[in-house]
Amino acid sequence: MADQILDAKGLNCPLPILRAKKALKDVPMGGTLQVIATDPGAVKDFEAFCRTTGNELVESTSEGKVFNFVIKRMS
Amino acid sequence: MAALPLYILLCSGEHEKVHMAAMMASVGAVSERSVEVFVSMNAIFAFAQDAPERYRGGAFSDLMKQKRVTDSIMLFRQGKELGDLKMWACSMALDVTGWDEDRLTADLFDGPLGLTKFLSDAENGQFVTL
Repeated sequence: MADQILDAKGLNCPLPILRAKKALKDVPMGGTLQVIATDPGAVKDFEAFCRTTGNELVESTSEGKVFNFVIKRMS
Repeated sequence: MAALPLYILLCSGEHEKVHMAAMMASVGAVSERSVEVFVSMNAIFAFAQDAPERYRGGAFSDLMKQKRVTDSIMLFRQGKELGDLKMWACSMALDVTGWDEDRLTADLFDGPLGLTKFLSDAENGQFVTL
C-alpha cells in the first residue's frame, strides 16, 4: 500500500507528471506514491521523470488503458 | 550528471507554440532542470494581463480550447511553483509596446531582460526557439 495515491485519470500530458511532482513533496523520503493515469504517453514519461529526478519507479503496470505507477521518493 | 539547463526563446504568439513552450518549461522544471524562458515579439501579447483573446492559433488551438486543455499560463505557473523556472520579458518588446512590467500577467515574470544577457546565459545550455 502506497503512502499516497494520486488519481490522474483523464489528465493530459504533462499534467500527470506535474501533479506527481507536487504530490511527492508530501511523501516522506523513502515513502511511496501511487499514480493512476490514462495518458497514453505516461509509461515512458514516468520512466523518464524518475530517471531525471532520482526517484525510483518501483512498479509500472497497466490494465487496458489505465496505467498504474508506484514511485519511491529518493530525492 | 545534471541535465543541461533549458533555454526557451518564445517569439510566436500562436497558441500552439505558446502552449508547447509552457509544456516544455513546466516539464523541464519538474524534472530538476533549470529552465529560462525569454518572451519576445508577438508572444508578449499572450502574456498581457488584460488580453481580450489571449490564445489565437490554428486548428489545433481550436481543439485544445474545445477539449479544455490546461491553460498555458497555468502551466508556466506550475513550473515556477514546482521547479527552477525563470521567465523574462524581452526589454525590446516592452519598449516597442510601450508596456511596463505591470501590464504583464502578475507573478509570472522575473523581470525584463536583454537578448544579449539571455544568449550569454544560454551558452552552456540547450536552446529551443518557438
